[in-house]
Amino acid sequence: MESFALSLVKAVPALSGVPMWTVTLTAMVLTAAILLVFALTFGGLGSYVLRKVAGDIQVRIGPNRVGPYGLLQFLADGAKLILKEDIIPAKADRFLFILAPYLVFVGSFAAFVVLPFGVGLIASDLNIGVYYVMAVTSLVVVGILMAGWASNNKWALLGGMRAAAQIISYEIPVGMAIMPAVLIAGSLSLQDIVRSQGGLLGVFGWNLFHNPFTFFSFILYFTAAQAETNQTPFDLPEAESELVSGYNVEYSGIRYAFFFLAEFGDMFVVAALATACFLGGWHVPFFHAEALPAFWGNLLSLGAFLFKAFALVLVMMWVRWTLPRLRVDQLMRMSWKYLVPLTFVNLLGVSLWLLLFKGKGIPQMIASLVG
Amino acid sequence: MGLKQYINDIVEAVVTTAKGMRITARYGVDASEEVTQQYPEERREPSERFRGFLHNDVARCTSCQMCIKVCPVDCISLEAVRGADKKFVLASYDINIGRCMYCGLCVEVCPTKSLTHTSGYEKASVNRGELVLHFIHEDAAEIKARVAKQVAEAAAKAAEAAKAAEAVKAAANPAAPDVAPAAANKPAPAEPQAKEKPESEKKG
Repeated sequence: MESFALSLVKAVPALSGVPMWTVTLTAMVLTAAILLVFALTFGGLGSYVLRKVAGDIQVRIGPNRVGPYGLLQFLADGAKLILKEDIIPAKADRFLFILAPYLVFVGSFAAFVVLPFGVGLIASDLNIGVYYVMAVTSLVVVGILMAGWASNNKWALLGGMRAAAQIISYEIPVGMAIMPAVLIAGSLSLQDIVRSQGGLLGVFGWNLFHNPFTFFSFILYFTAAQAETNQTPFDLPEAESELVSGYNVEYSGIRYAFFFLAEFGDMFVVAALATACFLGGWHVPFFHAEALPAFWGNLLSLGAFLFKAFALVLVMMWVRWTLPRLRVDQLMRMSWKYLVPLTFVNLLGVSLWLLLFKGKGIPQMIASLVG
Repeated sequence: MGLKQYINDIVEAVVTTAKGMRITARYGVDASEEVTQQYPEERREPSERFRGFLHNDVARCTSCQMCIKVCPVDCISLEAVRGADKKFVLASYDINIGRCMYCGLCVEVCPTKSLTHTSGYEKASVNRGELVLHFIHEDAAEIKARVAKQVAEAAAKAAEAAKAAEAVKAAANPAAPDVAPAAANKPAPAEPQAKEKPESEKKG
């Protein structure tokens, strides 16, 4: 961020008189605001798309009343949520009750910081990007558990406990499934991981096609991530048929909206991480985005990244409206008996592959054979 | 759980998920399969024998009370008085459509087919009283009073006619009685029952 501020000062001479820290701070706030607007817009439009996809799959129409094709439905929902009464139950733990939704939202929103949206479009290229995402999204568990406890409601408490058990269980396969990308790039920085996937027609450089193990680890990551974000086949924390609506049952108004936005933020973070680690991130197929002039390169790479991420989000919604909910024991069995061993075997496979073939993927080998 | 079973489970999970996703994708892409009707704008034509709200054509109703007797939920009530022509005149005919369960027994049992099911089904109301359909709009007491008056008039006329006939008989032909009263006893035609318009269907 400081380097960005420095280049800003260089580019605009009028800023040279201003103290450096104010420029840096302004740049930070602006970046945060842009990301926040993006996250909120994604949450809104995501909810519209989710309902539209649900409608299509269930042979219905979906929202079509507010605005053209119901596109403004999310604004109506947002206005409604803001205007609603903010109820805090009398027996609730007031402080924790108020704190929880913000913690959940911060947990999912903070992950946006390291997402590589484009060649130079990243809020902060941390050298521990992947770890940062894993660590910061764990805050969501704390928030959910807090919400469940503070509500002083048996369903909320059960939902919160389920969420905690589930997210902690699935954190392991998620982390292990993403490791192959880290191994191949030799770095935890998401920008480095994306850069390692360039070349070879832009598609065959992707980690997805690096070797069979990475292909499987993408699928494993996607499955586990679906569970980590409480998407429907694994949405036990808010199983409406058993828990009314789970940990957020006592929340209303804007606090409920925060849970809702955090859910969609999580969805995007998961899709973006999968894109960055396996689908070549912002690499545009058949194009070299980094060689283009800065503006066009950024624009094109942003488009490519968002396209891939949104496509993955769409697949998540598709899965969501296809599969019925698992039982709690099935969920735990799936994590500990299937996903965890499989991801470890997979990681071993990738490590062996990298050792045996000196870090070369199958497309690279074919390319070197062809010449 | 053996290794074979373990691998089988994984394969089955992948295969069944793929199968399910193929089906949902087909429904998701094919927009022509949408079954939703935009209700207030598009309405489905009720089928021919649809059992909607009940309607009583009071002009044909004979107040036989069969519908009341057969109704399992007691939602029909009527009041009738015997008119001057010995036929029943309806004073009130109410159907509590909020209680009706649309079994159709009353329509089946109606001898004059005056009670029918309409195709109406839209009746939202603020209070339950609005759900009672009144088929006779006049006040029941008024009708009763009027019919009673007619009956009394007819009786008076008949008595007068009888008296006149008696007088005539006594004066003209005391030897041959009991001829005139048969003609004079005919009552004045009762107030036409069809005066009350059947309640037009309320919609919306």
